[in-house]
Amino acid sequence: MWAITTVELKKKLQDKGLWFWTFILPIIFIIGFITIFSGVNNMEPEQLVTQIVPGYTVMFSFFIMISMVITFIKDRDSGMVARVASTPLPLKQFLIGKWLPFMIVVIIQIIVLLTFGVVVYDLPLGDPLALSVLSLTLAFISTSWGLAMSLLVNTENMGIALTQVIALGGAMLGGLWMPLEIMPDYMQTIAKFFPQFWGLEGYKLILVENGQIIDIWLPILVLISFGLAGGLLAFLAYPRFLRQSRS
Amino acid sequence: MIDVQGVSKTYGSNQALDNLQFQINEGNCYGLVGPNGAGKSTFMKILVGVLQRFDGDIQVFNHSVKENRLGVKSYIGYVPQDICLEELLTAKDNLIYFGKLYGLSGEHLRKRIKTVLEQIGLSEKANQKLTEFSGGMKRRLNIGCAILHEPSLIVLDEPTVGIDPQSRHSIFSLIQELKEAGSTVVYSSHYMEEVEELCDSVGLIDKGKLVEHGTMKQVLNKHRSASIFVSAEGISEEELSSHGVTIKKKTGFTVNCDDPLLTMENMIEQFRNKGIHPERLELSQSRLEDIFFNLTGTQLRDNG
Repeated sequence: MWAITTVELKKKLQDKGLWFWTFILPIIFIIGFITIFSGVNNMEPEQLVTQIVPGYTVMFSFFIMISMVITFIKDRDSGMVARVASTPLPLKQFLIGKWLPFMIVVIIQIIVLLTFGVVVYDLPLGDPLALSVLSLTLAFISTSWGLAMSLLVNTENMGIALTQVIALGGAMLGGLWMPLEIMPDYMQTIAKFFPQFWGLEGYKLILVENGQIIDIWLPILVLISFGLAGGLLAFLAYPRFLRQSRS
Repeated sequence: MIDVQGVSKTYGSNQALDNLQFQINEGNCYGLVGPNGAGKSTFMKILVGVLQRFDGDIQVFNHSVKENRLGVKSYIGYVPQDICLEELLTAKDNLIYFGKLYGLSGEHLRKRIKTVLEQIGLSEKANQKLTEFSGGMKRRLNIGCAILHEPSLIVLDEPTVGIDPQSRHSIFSLIQELKEAGSTVVYSSHYMEEVEELCDSVGLIDKGKLVEHGTMKQVLNKHRSASIFVSAEGISEEELSSHGVTIKKKTGFTVNCDDPLLTMENMIEQFRNKGIHPERLELSQSRLEDIFFNLTGTQLRDNG
């Protein structure tokens, strides 16, 4: 399993596209939107920063799905999946081995973006334990959905398109782009069906209300449930994915 | 022994494999031939444990592929048709990667990598990335990754596709070496002369069924028929067909007949009368390729 994780991490380090999606683009968005919304609607600077930095951190964490789809479809179509399946490595170790590097990338992404918020915009961080647990949970849900998507879609284009729908649609409806308080009641209800909402809700509880681990139990529970559903879907989709693999 | 026990596999309404039953003796090199879409790759995927749902079973050295999939996999080294290597890594890193997947580690893995690099002739290229490798070098490394763990059964699916003669020769020598070391080899190829040269036994699959199977000698003898090869300017297929079934080849015609000596005498007489001077007039025996065409026909198979 660690052999797969190590090789995948080595490949990720050389993937310039991943660096762009994961670190450069989110930072550009954070800077751009904070600049645009500064002084608009009488929003306090701290309110703006605690909305946009964690909001875009949550949104871009879901973009890892693109890299996962590309990696898995490439491995499927090159025959690598069937090749690895012919070794004595158990299925769950293969899936976890492939999954872990992407989780590590998302965790690094969250650390980089929150650190950027702290250094440039004085973002308050709150309780480190609660922040770490929530970030791990966010990395878990985004990559488990990425794994499920990678094993379910037939083509790379289909995967990328669906990722955009999930990442951008979830961000819009989940209240990542603007505070939900200014949206109609029905939109606030709809938002609760998206993991992005619970991700931001958790961060806000920690960053704004100085919440502890006990205060974020609900967002954590919801995110883990969404993540487990993704993981289960991926596990069920694997035999079909393997059948589609060239060899 | 590899014991294939009534293996069938369907994809929807398509019967990919239909009740395959045969045995491969330990230490044997078994050639698997068949047209595109015949079911060779499906069979190989089942044998190496990649395809998990099928009817029947395969016993690999007395271990059931169905009941002890992971155990069986450690006996097998699979060389897929596609080059399945990590392009961004070096040859050595690829070997380390696959070695670890097969459970090798430490000093044993290091020693095996050194030996395998020598066997596949890539010792000096060990630290080069695959982006700098030729197709033949990648094919050899593809095999190297499958033999690191010293498998008792090596399954090769079209290992010589698209490579230069030197690499092909090197791969042949390596397979001979593995055979001599006692490994059992299952070898699939579209190049019949390769199968005829390398393999002790052969199985011919068409439309998911085993249409012929036996030792190479048995199969060749069973279908042996004499023919005459003619290459001459000014001779047509119609003129030759009076001597027997005539097949147009690239550089001449093959005439199948019951009594080749008599037919040849008649042909020489015919050529003399017409003032034709043949460039080649040869007696030939059926090769595996002729048997393959006789059993499967010459119609194109583009569905697989």
